[in-house]
Amino acid sequence: MMNKIITDENPMVPFLGKLKYVRDLGNEIKLLGVELMDGGALAFSEYHPGQFAFVSAFGVGEAPFGIASTPARSGILEFAIQRLGTVTTELHRLGQGDVVGIRGPMGNCFPMHDFAGKNIILLGGGIGGAPLRPVIHTILDNRKDYGHFTILWAARHPSLLIFTDEYEEWRSSPDCELHLTVDHPDQTWDHNVGLITELLAKVAPSPHNAVTITCGPPVMIYYVNQVLNKLGFQPEQNFVTLEARMHCGIGKCGRCNLGDKLICVDGPVFKMTEVGQFLESYL
Amino acid sequence: MTMITRSALFRWLDEMAEELPLIAPSYVEGILLYRQVSKSSEVAMARERPVLSPKEVFFPSTEVLFTINKNGDKLRLNETLPVKEQVVFGVKACDARGLSSLDAMFIDTAPADPYYAAQRKLTTVIGMKCKEMGETCFCTELGLSPDDPSGVDISLAEFEEGFDVQVMTQKGLDLLNRYLQDGADFYIDRSPLSGCTDATQPTRVVLPEAKTFPLLFEDAMWDEVAERCLSCRICAYACPTCRCFDIRDEELPASAGERRFERIRCWDSCTRNAYRRTAGGHDPRAGKGERLRNRIYCKYYYFPRRYGQLSCTGCGRCIDLCPVNIDITEILRRIVEVRQFP
Amino acid sequence: MTISAEIQAKAAEWLTSGDVACVVGYERGTHGRTRPAFIYQGEDVARLIFDKTCTHNLTTYLPQLFNDGSLMKATHKLAPDASIAIITKPCDIRAINVLIGENQVSRERLKVIGVVCEGILDGAGKRAFVECEPIYTYQRRCRSCSERVPLVYDFLIGESVSPELVQEEENLRGIQDLTTSERAKYWLAQFDRCIRCYACRQVCPLCNCPACLYERDDSLWVGMGFGVDEKRTFHLGRAFHLAGRCVGCDECERVCPMGLPISLLNRRLAQEIETMFGYRPGIKPAFSPLTSILQQEQGIP
Repeated sequence: MMNKIITDENPMVPFLGKLKYVRDLGNEIKLLGVELMDGGALAFSEYHPGQFAFVSAFGVGEAPFGIASTPARSGILEFAIQRLGTVTTELHRLGQGDVVGIRGPMGNCFPMHDFAGKNIILLGGGIGGAPLRPVIHTILDNRKDYGHFTILWAARHPSLLIFTDEYEEWRSSPDCELHLTVDHPDQTWDHNVGLITELLAKVAPSPHNAVTITCGPPVMIYYVNQVLNKLGFQPEQNFVTLEARMHCGIGKCGRCNLGDKLICVDGPVFKMTEVGQFLESYL
Repeated sequence: MTMITRSALFRWLDEMAEELPLIAPSYVEGILLYRQVSKSSEVAMARERPVLSPKEVFFPSTEVLFTINKNGDKLRLNETLPVKEQVVFGVKACDARGLSSLDAMFIDTAPADPYYAAQRKLTTVIGMKCKEMGETCFCTELGLSPDDPSGVDISLAEFEEGFDVQVMTQKGLDLLNRYLQDGADFYIDRSPLSGCTDATQPTRVVLPEAKTFPLLFEDAMWDEVAERCLSCRICAYACPTCRCFDIRDEELPASAGERRFERIRCWDSCTRNAYRRTAGGHDPRAGKGERLRNRIYCKYYYFPRRYGQLSCTGCGRCIDLCPVNIDITEILRRIVEVRQFP
Repeated sequence: MTISAEIQAKAAEWLTSGDVACVVGYERGTHGRTRPAFIYQGEDVARLIFDKTCTHNLTTYLPQLFNDGSLMKATHKLAPDASIAIITKPCDIRAINVLIGENQVSRERLKVIGVVCEGILDGAGKRAFVECEPIYTYQRRCRSCSERVPLVYDFLIGESVSPELVQEEENLRGIQDLTTSERAKYWLAQFDRCIRCYACRQVCPLCNCPACLYERDDSLWVGMGFGVDEKRTFHLGRAFHLAGRCVGCDECERVCPMGLPISLLNRRLAQEIETMFGYRPGIKPAFSPLTSILQQEQGIP
């Protein structure tokens, strides 16, 4: 598990970045591409799937977002941002050329080396898919390092499915399968309808030599974990990336605790053996 | 013991107050608080502890982290770290322990918080040993003692004749040498140092074993003990070790064509409503019992596991101030009882 | 029978018969302090007491109990039609009337045990009281109290107060005699040491907005900081929101760790409302005239 590059910089003061591009990803969801300047470019020259960063909408505040890009594919830092509160509303208001603040990279990362040779089952729900995109890219870019790759990708409605332009690449990569599902279809939808838990039970991946990676709303993580248990997956095979309301991101403000763990520094990636016990962040 | 006369102390305080910010217990409309004083006569030599702890000197209730200047498409950030040297006077053992608890988290665990660390470096702490314990004090139950000099730079103890001086750090020695003259201000008293002479029995506290906490996480007791909780923030704000904070940008006045903001951090409390509510609406601690459980667990289980020290010093402020008598020592006794007789 | 014994008997009767699911009352806590108690079983009624240390305004728990289960997540989840009994002093009962008038509480589901009250002692809730100690003083609100017999009740305890009990003149510390600019100067200086703990707001039965204007995540009306401007705005604004609704229980001032004269401000505005409208909140269930009278010709509720 890598940590961010520790520098002498004040960890509370963000690096400055310019919005290189802003793309629509879905209903009230945008992809922001941030080009870092000066010290930020150095800090983010290396980061890993699962890490997050604080994005500042100056004048309003900042909020944590999973990094949705990988350095291998992109020199631009990408975030998928759903408009929900004060900070995200301001970020949605910004356009190409506007300046934002970035603090990070923060948190731990997915142990991609430990996944080598294993079958991977990846479950992304809604905006929760964003921090999983670098995992997908890493696997596809190093295909022979990993076993069979099953992606279950879900949202409440087709307009909330993100990275739709990448599904063809995911689906057609060797030894990969992609399953899509929505709770509420529209007229053009011709894939699965139903919750991701129902889809998971239907696909019923084998727990043999496999790991699972889940991200989505807390209640989804909880119920997916129950289905995984029924399918025979052991807690040490199941990885999640969690979210919480955060403010400092560096383990000082005390807010994001899950038991004695802090999601910002001990996570956001956890094995279910570590977090199964204290359930408060799920329900 | 090395002692200074009363007049020497007051002269020392006066001289310090003239040269740098001197923060000491002082009465403000009848409420004892740590305040910057301009002369020794404003310092209250009170037995009681101030209503708030001195943590606000190092971790202010509102602190500017940096300012933001926006001029067209140009954006500039100006970091606003503490720069002023200062002295805090009259810090009791419980509050000094609170500072060392905050140090373990803010400074000793990387990355160090530059604001808190700077303020600690710039401040010399003069402690005052307690001669008696208050009705709600229980520092002794947590392995502390009211006349413990650790955690401060100079530890004083008040006697009829003057003040015993115990220098604890180089920083303390430097401050002493700056203001006090050998011979003129000091004298040696041959009588033995008498510590805290108090015979009051503090509230009995039995700290639950660490393994008890996970076992009681789902217990019904949390909703029950929290039922009368008002979800205010008094306990967290008065506590010498609580340190949760919120961060936000707020606008400042600016000249035409420019916009200015400051990024501030402010005290927050895990006991309040919506403390953990996300913008999406998920609120893992919507219930008062869940919030109170987190407060207790953080102090006696989570914080010690991470930082090696309790997040409680037995100062008793939360017990004094809680409007509905939620008593942290009663809760600890209850945990031990529930464990013994499930 | 002592008052406490009467209360215990009534609580036991209602709980065992199933007439109520919960009794909200007072018990003795640690360090000799009285505190609120929630009793769900008949066998626990022995905890209930009533004496001159019962300072808390228990009606503050009613909106939580009735409306928002998440705030109160009690050990015994109350059924949607469950009744609640509450032990109240005459001042607290006026708060019930305001809550009923504002649709925050259902009268049908409430069983009020009203207690005739001679007064509550200064320091109640904050210290133990020793019977053989010298005379204690009553709280300021009690010294100028004008109704010691509850206006509303389902069960009344006590008959009358002793004839020696004198009603003092309302003591507003001479505020009303100051000029406007003197008064402004006074009030603007009062809130500097506030620490925005919100205990005053949380303890108040009439401050029951799900989201407080002064605590928004977007700092729309007031910033998050502990500056003087923010704190004045909060206190002065809150006083206006309470004008015509506050019943003067003084709990806000009792709970304040900084000794701010919060209730003094509320009482000052209450004095103005009484002069302007001839109205005292809580005498009957109604909206404050400040929020309900739109035309000069309209009658006072």
